[in-house]
Amino acid sequence: MNVAVFVKASLDPNMLRVDSSGRILVEDIPLAISEYDRNAVEEAVRLKEKHGGKVVALSALTWGPIQKRVREAEQVLREALAMGADEAYLLVDEALIPGNPYTTAGALAALAQKVGEFDLYLTGEGSMDTLSFQMAARLGEALGVPAVSYARALEVSEGKARVTRDLEEHLETVEVNLPAVVSVTGEINKPRLPTLLQIRRAFAKPLDKLSLADVSYTPPSAAVEVEELRLLAVSRKNIIVEGTSLEEIASKLVDLLVKEGIVK
Amino acid sequence: MKVLLVAEKPELLSELAGFLKDLESKAGPVETAAFTAAPSLDEARKFSAYVAAKTYVAVAERVFPDQLSKAALDIVDRENPDLVIGVATKTGNEVVARVAGAKGIPMMTEIVDVEARDGALLFHRAVLGGRAISVLKPALPAAATIPARKYEVPQPGEPGELVEVQLPSSALSLVKVEEKEKGGVNIEEAEVVIGVGRGFRKKEDLAMAEELANMLGGAVGCSRPIAADYHWLPEDAWIGISGKKIRPKLYMAIGISGAPQHMSAVLDAKVIVAVNKDKNAPVFQYADYGVVADLYQFLPVFIQKLKEKLGG
Repeated sequence: MNVAVFVKASLDPNMLRVDSSGRILVEDIPLAISEYDRNAVEEAVRLKEKHGGKVVALSALTWGPIQKRVREAEQVLREALAMGADEAYLLVDEALIPGNPYTTAGALAALAQKVGEFDLYLTGEGSMDTLSFQMAARLGEALGVPAVSYARALEVSEGKARVTRDLEEHLETVEVNLPAVVSVTGEINKPRLPTLLQIRRAFAKPLDKLSLADVSYTPPSAAVEVEELRLLAVSRKNIIVEGTSLEEIASKLVDLLVKEGIVK
Repeated sequence: MKVLLVAEKPELLSELAGFLKDLESKAGPVETAAFTAAPSLDEARKFSAYVAAKTYVAVAERVFPDQLSKAALDIVDRENPDLVIGVATKTGNEVVARVAGAKGIPMMTEIVDVEARDGALLFHRAVLGGRAISVLKPALPAAATIPARKYEVPQPGEPGELVEVQLPSSALSLVKVEEKEKGGVNIEEAEVVIGVGRGFRKKEDLAMAEELANMLGGAVGCSRPIAADYHWLPEDAWIGISGKKIRPKLYMAIGISGAPQHMSAVLDAKVIVAVNKDKNAPVFQYADYGVVADLYQFLPVFIQKLKEKLGG
């Protein structure tokens, strides 16, 4: 069974960099593998361990500048390789930067079609930087296969996947014929931490860079323009309540809650 | 401009009507059509009054996202809207993303605001763990989802014309449905939510948070590990992007480090208080008032002081 797993090199939301005017300094924020995509890689590797076949990790660089970012995106794919993916492909193209789910999904679908035939396409339910929750649905449309979202359990047998979808009020278990796209939640598994040896071996695995021309994809000319990216204006007070004793701090906090109209 | 509203259940039309009102106040009058799945035509009629527009209805008790999106696509082709708007529930996000994917148009998930600037519509999204705002200008037609329970429901008008549509079949087949375990108190509606995290060492210690919640007339919620890994609280107490979003008057995060996945679900709280012994915990960046202390030392003292205040 061959599994394609889509991973995003996301801006790390814990490492925000901002200038004095509140503008987000995107170029200075490090990229890291998007949290739930790590779960997707883990699930792909577990399926390989159970059913055989191979795992191919796919990514597109969506944050610039390219020069500076390519290595970081490669690092994200190396992480997937160290976890057990067999090969990796990275799309690098100015036309994909800055990314939006529309162009990124089209490009990633073209990449998947270019590099192999897959029984299953996995990805995280959303990316940790932009949280658009669109990829599985759009990839399903672009690849012309069913998409099943929010999986917290996944089993594959006889050309079918059985997926437990995590919805607001209930868990819904469904079956779908393969090939299909499945997006996974953070609850589906605990991603493994690769050993040093696995990390070293990952450097021997194939990692290819491709352009949009290589995968014959022409992005739409007008999609979405990012007008601004700035720190949330409604900032918090960020007051640390201090005192010489816990009693004093507790009293101050009670008074603050009275002042806010919460404690009456 | 023409807007198509898409809802997986008719109640959501009333929230979408609230958004529409806001949009019209900024961008001028819009022409509207709506599509909803509903358990009956009567239910659909009731809620179509909020949008007061032609409403396409698929009568069904249970629907999969691909059925809704295919039916919605037919309606998009008939109505040619400039905007397709849904509600950012799990199903809503997926249905609208499928429509956007199939039509080849942009989509902005869970927009927090819409703005008319120089004749163009700009959509604001919270990104980077809810700490940043991205202002997007999409080419039209485009799609978007609005946050659930954000917009005030307007007065209903006259029900619109109802047009019944058939749902196509789904690629999915249902095996079973399990209700999630419920805790009894609804944290989405509570005015005060006490959030507990991994700073608590054992389940019994959550009693302190319960006591605090009782005193303030609130409910106890939690971060991911407390519900998903330790199962100390039911999943409906889980606050986060995979759990519940809350908008209380007070959110008090106790022993919670402040991962973006958790904090982005509490950003609409009016006041945020954080208690954590690590002064570098990210939670303090999101807090109005922070207390750097061991919760085991601080909470008993704070509960005592609060008792004195409430008692007096």
